[in-house]
Amino acid sequence: MPHLLVHHQLYLHQQPLSPSSLSLSLTHLHRRTSFANNLCDSCSITTGISQHLMTPLKNVRVLRPSALNSTTSIRCMANPRRVKMVAKQIRRELSDMLLTDKVLQYAVLPEVALGADRYLSSLTTISDVEVSSDLQVVKVYVSVFGDERGREVAIAGLKSKAKYVRSELGRRMKLRLTPEIRFIEDESLERGSRVIAILDKLKNEKKSVEDQDEGQSESSYPSEDDRDWDVDDPDEGIVYIK
Amino acid sequence: MVKPIPRIGSRKNGRIGSRKNGRRIPKGVIHVQASFNNTIVTVTDVGGRVVSWSSAGACGFKGTRRGTPFAAQTAAGKAIRTVVDQGMQRAEVMIKGPGLGRDAALRAIRRSGILLSFVRDVTPMPHNGCRPPKKKTCVKIGTEDISRERNDSMI
Repeated sequence: MPHLLVHHQLYLHQQPLSPSSLSLSLTHLHRRTSFANNLCDSCSITTGISQHLMTPLKNVRVLRPSALNSTTSIRCMANPRRVKMVAKQIRRELSDMLLTDKVLQYAVLPEVALGADRYLSSLTTISDVEVSSDLQVVKVYVSVFGDERGREVAIAGLKSKAKYVRSELGRRMKLRLTPEIRFIEDESLERGSRVIAILDKLKNEKKSVEDQDEGQSESSYPSEDDRDWDVDDPDEGIVYIK
Repeated sequence: MVKPIPRIGSRKNGRIGSRKNGRRIPKGVIHVQASFNNTIVTVTDVGGRVVSWSSAGACGFKGTRRGTPFAAQTAAGKAIRTVVDQGMQRAEVMIKGPGLGRDAALRAIRRSGILLSFVRDVTPMPHNGCRPPKKKTCVKIGTEDISRERNDSMI
């Protein structure tokens, strides 16, 4: 597939061309005649210079934005609105699959197989779905609630079922090319929860410190003004029962 | 499932007014219904009688912000605050539906100090019963089209 070749070439050779980087010798395009006689040591694919000039050029042409005809480019960027719609649809389908599909549930929570009657030890949620702009790669951010071991089991189970999920998605959705699915653990919800817990703790501590200060100032004059305290502070008489 | 409360003419129960405020429930059930656009948190007792509820929309969020996990957190916090004062210590959580509210509300409940005894998922699952609504076909954009199922509205 010529499609794949592009990426391969990318990793070996590619530097995004800008006017400043033309002077760098990292690009293997060999446009300048001075480099025409050099053999590239790092190019493991081709040996002859003529081949050198031909194959990478044709493929690298894809990403050079300037000075070439757009008729030869294989760019496949979809409409951004469409990308968003596909992402939303994939999110719905994947959440539905997590809830209903038996195979996925066994992978995430092994105890369902034993008939645990939905008493869960961990809860998996799909928090976000990101689709690349050419609709080929889908990154699914998964957040797991539960202890450490449950989280590991859930993520490992999901990653092992990536191909199955891809085929299921292809069956449910009508797309020309079913994208590759990657599951990534998402810690953002937990981090947010931790931050809020810390903020709450700080707030409570501040409040208790304020109460302590008031209590100290009150207890420094216990003998005098007893009658006034009863009138002014109704809280004094309350006994807290737990 | 709801047991009828003998109200009229029964002297054992005391005044009806005190029934509403004076119930001490040490153990309750928290239902979280998390759809994609909203989260509703309802606190009931073990029999199923509702004590208090709150939702993301009721907390002041509107539109797309109701579906966010932060909104679910505030809704859960608000629903629990009224109940913690009444002395609930342990709770069982029942979660329904997909959506971000599942995780966020659970974390909020755990943070608030209530002991979670069980977490259950009670999303309604037909044993192949009613026919689901037809798949909505999208307008063709470019050369591909997406067919969408109209789902999740009933959960």
